[in-house]
Amino acid sequence: MHGVVHTGEVHTEMRALTATTQTPPPVAHNRPRAAILRSPAFGPGVTLVVLFILFAIVVPNFFTLRSIAGIVNAATLTGIIAIGVTQLMIAGEFDLSVGPVMAMSGFVFGFYMMNGGGPWLAIPLALAICALMGLINGFIVVKAQMPSFIVTLGTAFIFTGLVWAYSGGQVLQITESPPAFAWLNGRLATLADLYAGANFRSSIVWWLGLVAIFQFVLVRTRFGNHIFAVGGNRDSAAAQGVPVVRTKLLAFMWSSVLAGVAGILLFAQFKTVRIATGTGEELKAIAAAVVGGTLLTGGYGSIIGALFGVLLISMLRTGVVLLDIIAADNFDAIVGVTIVAAAILNNVIRNRA
Amino acid sequence: MATEAVNGAPPVVEMRAISKRFGTVSALEGVDFAVRRGEVCALLGDNGAGKSTLIKILTGIFPATSGEIRINGAVVNIRSPAQARALGIETVYQDLALVNLMSVTRNFFLGREVTTGVGPLRFMRLGEMNTRTEEALHDIGIEKFSTGRSVTEPVAKLSGGERQSIAIGRAVHFGASLLILDEPTSALSVGETEKVLHYTVRAKERGMAVIFISHNLHHVSKVADRYTIIRHGRKVGDYPGGSLTESDLGAMITGEREQ
Repeated sequence: MHGVVHTGEVHTEMRALTATTQTPPPVAHNRPRAAILRSPAFGPGVTLVVLFILFAIVVPNFFTLRSIAGIVNAATLTGIIAIGVTQLMIAGEFDLSVGPVMAMSGFVFGFYMMNGGGPWLAIPLALAICALMGLINGFIVVKAQMPSFIVTLGTAFIFTGLVWAYSGGQVLQITESPPAFAWLNGRLATLADLYAGANFRSSIVWWLGLVAIFQFVLVRTRFGNHIFAVGGNRDSAAAQGVPVVRTKLLAFMWSSVLAGVAGILLFAQFKTVRIATGTGEELKAIAAAVVGGTLLTGGYGSIIGALFGVLLISMLRTGVVLLDIIAADNFDAIVGVTIVAAAILNNVIRNRA
Repeated sequence: MATEAVNGAPPVVEMRAISKRFGTVSALEGVDFAVRRGEVCALLGDNGAGKSTLIKILTGIFPATSGEIRINGAVVNIRSPAQARALGIETVYQDLALVNLMSVTRNFFLGREVTTGVGPLRFMRLGEMNTRTEEALHDIGIEKFSTGRSVTEPVAKLSGGERQSIAIGRAVHFGASLLILDEPTSALSVGETEKVLHYTVRAKERGMAVIFISHNLHHVSKVADRYTIIRHGRKVGDYPGGSLTESDLGAMITGEREQ
């Protein structure tokens, strides 16, 4: 205010409504309970815990370190890809090209490790090439103003062609184990020695670390705020001066770089990569994002939710296989049911929150 | 009254002899239009009369074919919406104002986030942003967020009128000198409309120049200090608030009456 309260020319109808200016009373805007209930990860988190308890009670051999480690290890790489896919979905775009990007990263990383490049050359190089692929995706989407679903469906085939050209169509396989493979995705031997069956791999550390970083970035930084804004309402965001193009380009690049990280970790674990590596990962990651509470229409979601989503799907597989109610090779049907059920459930929870 | 105190100062915005042609079609012909500090000017006209064209020229969506725009007396060339914003021109549209899935605070500070830290390690001061949003909304008279509702709630939970009010509050808080309200009360209930009209008056009292565009003459007559009527791309005239009845205004907008 300018220190002056005008009383003269206020219209009569308005006078009753005109409030005097005073210091607002203190308000508890940091109500943690409400904030947790409103979080997109709340529903998936509850579902995960409930199903875990249910499985622990009814499924023999489920509540063991061995089976829990199996669930987590099977989820890690999809989990890392899902981080990138989720933040991109919140920004209102899809990435169907993460599979071949993952394969390309595995080939570049493996090739330079094999040829004595060392991890400090191989890793940045592989990730830089992935970032470039993400930039290509983003550039086509924002410049041609095409739906990312179609663009990345196309670039997925193009990138597969690039992987083919780079690899000569051959499987890349190495026998030696450079020390980098241990810290990238080796067994956490100390933990396994302490607790029988705790066969976790070091990739779980990368996964949880990346989830923490990206969750923080999304919720606490300007870039994260802009991700939500461009996905929620592109025109409103632009009207408020949000750099829509730059935000989307970066989101596409992060999606590819995280797929690249998964490719490196995959090669460090199995010491092999083929052209078909990563096939189907794009849909698994989208499924995890949706199960984890992220909206397909953009503007809403969470990285922690995606973590829950990946764990939920992996846990269901293990539970269903251990229960022996369906052939192990046929568990995708159960995953399908989960995705549909979770999408419906999240919708119900969101409307009540 | 606020306008008397600044009578000597040039208008916040002054458009002189504005013409706009789209191909062979003439949308505006020699329109003069001005708004002063602390004044609500209602821009009236039937559909296709040229209101939107005039506003789009002012907000940088397209340029005028001829004519001159002055902001606080200085001639400007507004080439983009971003530039209009930088000049202190803020527009509140009916549906385009806020991102519904984001919180009140995040909407309030969107594009102007308060951060701390260095280089790439910068994060938002959400606590400070929440407090400032509450204070700013309280300041313009939106009491809801100091009495119960939280500014951390998503905007989607709020009514249309509350959303409009927040968008107005945002423009006021960040020091816009000209506020353009484009059909702010269409699609609102009676009670909601009263609130939006109230905040419009508050914005004026704080020294802003306000352009109020509406088809609802009843709403217009409650807040307008002055009417500018446009018909078929030409200005019919400027009239002080209260000098014309609603039916007079209606007749002049449609052309049933000339003066």
